Amino acid sequence: MQDVVENLSRLIRDAASRRRPLCIRGGGTKDFYGGEIRGDVLDTKPLRGIVSYEPTELVISARAGTPLVEIEAALQEKGQVLPFEPPHFDRPPQPEAPQPPAEGQLSIAPVPTEEKLATLGGCVATGLSGPRRAYAGAVRDFVLGARILDGKGAELHFGGQVMKNVAGYDVSRLTVGALGTLGVILEVSLKVLPAPAAEATLRLAAGPDEAITLMNDWGSKPLPVTATAYRAGSLSVRLSGAPSAVAAAAKKIGGETMDATHAAQFWSDIREQRAAFYAGNQALWRLSIKPTTPPLDLAGPQLIEWGGALRWLRSDADAKVIREAAARAGGHATLFRAVDKTAGVFHPLSPGLAKIHRRLKEAFDPAGILNPGRMYPDF
Amino acid sequence: MTLSAIHRARPRDPLPEALLGELRARLGDRLATSAAAREQHGKDESAHPITPPDAVAFPTSTAEVAEIARLCARDGVPMIAFGVGTSVEGHVLAIHGGVCLDLSRMNRVLAVHVDDLDARVEAGVTRKQLNRHLHGSGLFFPIDPGADATIGGMAATRASGTNAVRYGTMRENVLGLTVVLADGRVIHTGGRARKSSAGYDLTRLFVGSEGTLGIITEITLRLHPQPEAVSAAVCAFPTVDAAVRTVIQTIQLGVPIARCELLDTLTVQAVNRYSKLSLREAPMLFMEFHGTPAGVEEQARTVQELAKELGGMDFEWATQQEDRNRLWQARHDAYLACRQVRPGSRAFTTDVCVPISRLAECIAATNEDITRASMPVALFGHVGDGNFHLVIPIDETRPADLEEAEAINRRVVSRALEMGGTCTGEHGVGIGKLDYLDAEHGDAMSVMRSLKEALDPRNLLNPGKVIRVRDS
Repeated sequence: MQDVVENLSRLIRDAASRRRPLCIRGGGTKDFYGGEIRGDVLDTKPLRGIVSYEPTELVISARAGTPLVEIEAALQEKGQVLPFEPPHFDRPPQPEAPQPPAEGQLSIAPVPTEEKLATLGGCVATGLSGPRRAYAGAVRDFVLGARILDGKGAELHFGGQVMKNVAGYDVSRLTVGALGTLGVILEVSLKVLPAPAAEATLRLAAGPDEAITLMNDWGSKPLPVTATAYRAGSLSVRLSGAPSAVAAAAKKIGGETMDATHAAQFWSDIREQRAAFYAGNQALWRLSIKPTTPPLDLAGPQLIEWGGALRWLRSDADAKVIREAAARAGGHATLFRAVDKTAGVFHPLSPGLAKIHRRLKEAFDPAGILNPGRMYPDF
Repeated sequence: MTLSAIHRARPRDPLPEALLGELRARLGDRLATSAAAREQHGKDESAHPITPPDAVAFPTSTAEVAEIARLCARDGVPMIAFGVGTSVEGHVLAIHGGVCLDLSRMNRVLAVHVDDLDARVEAGVTRKQLNRHLHGSGLFFPIDPGADATIGGMAATRASGTNAVRYGTMRENVLGLTVVLADGRVIHTGGRARKSSAGYDLTRLFVGSEGTLGIITEITLRLHPQPEAVSAAVCAFPTVDAAVRTVIQTIQLGVPIARCELLDTLTVQAVNRYSKLSLREAPMLFMEFHGTPAGVEEQARTVQELAKELGGMDFEWATQQEDRNRLWQARHDAYLACRQVRPGSRAFTTDVCVPISRLAECIAATNEDITRASMPVALFGHVGDGNFHLVIPIDETRPADLEEAEAINRRVVSRALEMGGTCTGEHGVGIGKLDYLDAEHGDAMSVMRSLKEALDPRNLLNPGKVIRVRDS
């Protein structure tokens, strides 16, 4: 495997000396996400395999190109899970869905469908988490350590495999969600958790205001809630944990119990964006805001997750209007899927923060060759 | 380099008179230069010699911190953020002199949003103050290092405590920060949204940077609902090994134990004396379970069964809050109690964290070091996450004591690194662990150094801590 790493390092050094941008890519399942994609493809798929998995340790270390399905299967065998439920996005969305990435966005060949398997590297680089995120934590909360190649091709190791580590700056977590702009992720150690012993999904009829109040009310009580979703008058809540705790909580919450198969499909469709709400070509916005924010007065259908902290919006409204609404609610808006991304994908940074970002980028990638433009146009 | 050498080698320039005049004009009597004030701010809970700053400023707002920073930056004067001085690795020692910014007067809880489960506080609010403020709200802030540290200091050192297995550390519980940068600019990171994906995760970069990348002045924290039911349990074991094995099996079974602390025999003896308890003098686990009444009982019963199989004795319950508080206060005071084992001594602490599967082995080997030591060394720790401490009481008048303590620490750290662990699980680097960072990180130190240079190009923020830049 060291020869694969050395080869990647050589490609990076070569690109740096010629200032030629590199596009870091695993399964290509999240090509649709983020800004411009350009440059020579740096394929991380050869970095495949679980390096170590000790179930008693609740830690798994795997190479960046390892498919998530492979990791999840290994965990399932030992009754454990990735608690942040990362979305794979590796099956084609519903018909009529935007065929991401958009025209003009991608100047490189798409990955053939049969090879489209979400990888660990992409999961960490995008920092995306699924329905359980608001209750269990995000990807970055479970990253214990990482091995990366920086923009000079140097192999660096941050953090480790232990639960607590305060030896120096928390660099491994800085690479989470950095969209590959700070380094090529080679290997990641993740904390995992035992799979819940029991689960139940309840469905309640509610208006949007009532749904948001209920979600927040549950969140402030010691209930084993692990997912919430609201769409068009229907509020779904998932409980996970010890059978007695789930049963007691289900009694308190009320509503109608979904059968297990249907429930699993329902949450998988939310996580993988295969629910009807996500179909079609209209821009999909993701608003991360304070959870008690009342229903947002924005044009277009909304789907609410994470106890009210996440609002998905299908809307052609002006980006500025949407971003201002998110900022007023203490958060920000991301243009998650869209044909036209000229409005910018991520919330613009204040000049002070932008300066720090540029300095950090320079510290890791002085030649500016790693995924330039994927996060913000100017780095 | 030995610690005494670090203290000798530092170059120090006196503060420019003009700067002192300007600071005094702005702060009045909130600028102290008396020997007493300076000495008080030149030490923490560690055994490092007192190393006072040249002046101590007591700002009361972010704007004032920013102004002090602008003036210090202009004159190239070091700035050291200070909370209540409870760090244990010499984090706040003014080894290059400069101005200490004592943030303890910035102690307002700015907002508590019960429904959103968050709070915004100034850096000088202490963890106990915050929890008193939250009393009656149904919420609490779970991170509890032994001392009543400030939230600012806890964020700066990425502190954790006895609840980390269940609630995480400061890393997971800080949502956003207000930070004064080296040149006096003020930035805001993160926010009240749970998930902040706008740009790089600067919040987590500043959390744990020990005042070397910026001065944290305000913190937005995540709060947690008070568990419906809490029960605590203590259990004695024939050996440390049996206690550790019980913990490992508990975690494997997925029992969501909230707190799980190991005390060795010497620590139990010290705690008995210090906190007037009568625990059996044997290795002991202190545990706490959070959840529903039924869930808590189920969890405790499972652990009790496991403990029994491994020779656990005197499994005792404490469901009354008073009894629980007494128990946990005793655990929090273990550090002070262990210092009393040798009256008049200062404590040298170790802080390794290893993979849980190696914990029993690591502790067994460490116990051999303890047996050979010339002073009584106590061992206790947060075994649920693989992190444990030694408290080595040293007599300041005996240089050989410090040398011996450092030698023990070197052995413990190199053992932990061999096992895939870290030299510091929760105390941080300060000056005490500087030498181990290269061994732990290798080439990655160069990136950390360039991060420091990117944010503090003139090395004015708490110079000489976490990372060596040029002459620091």
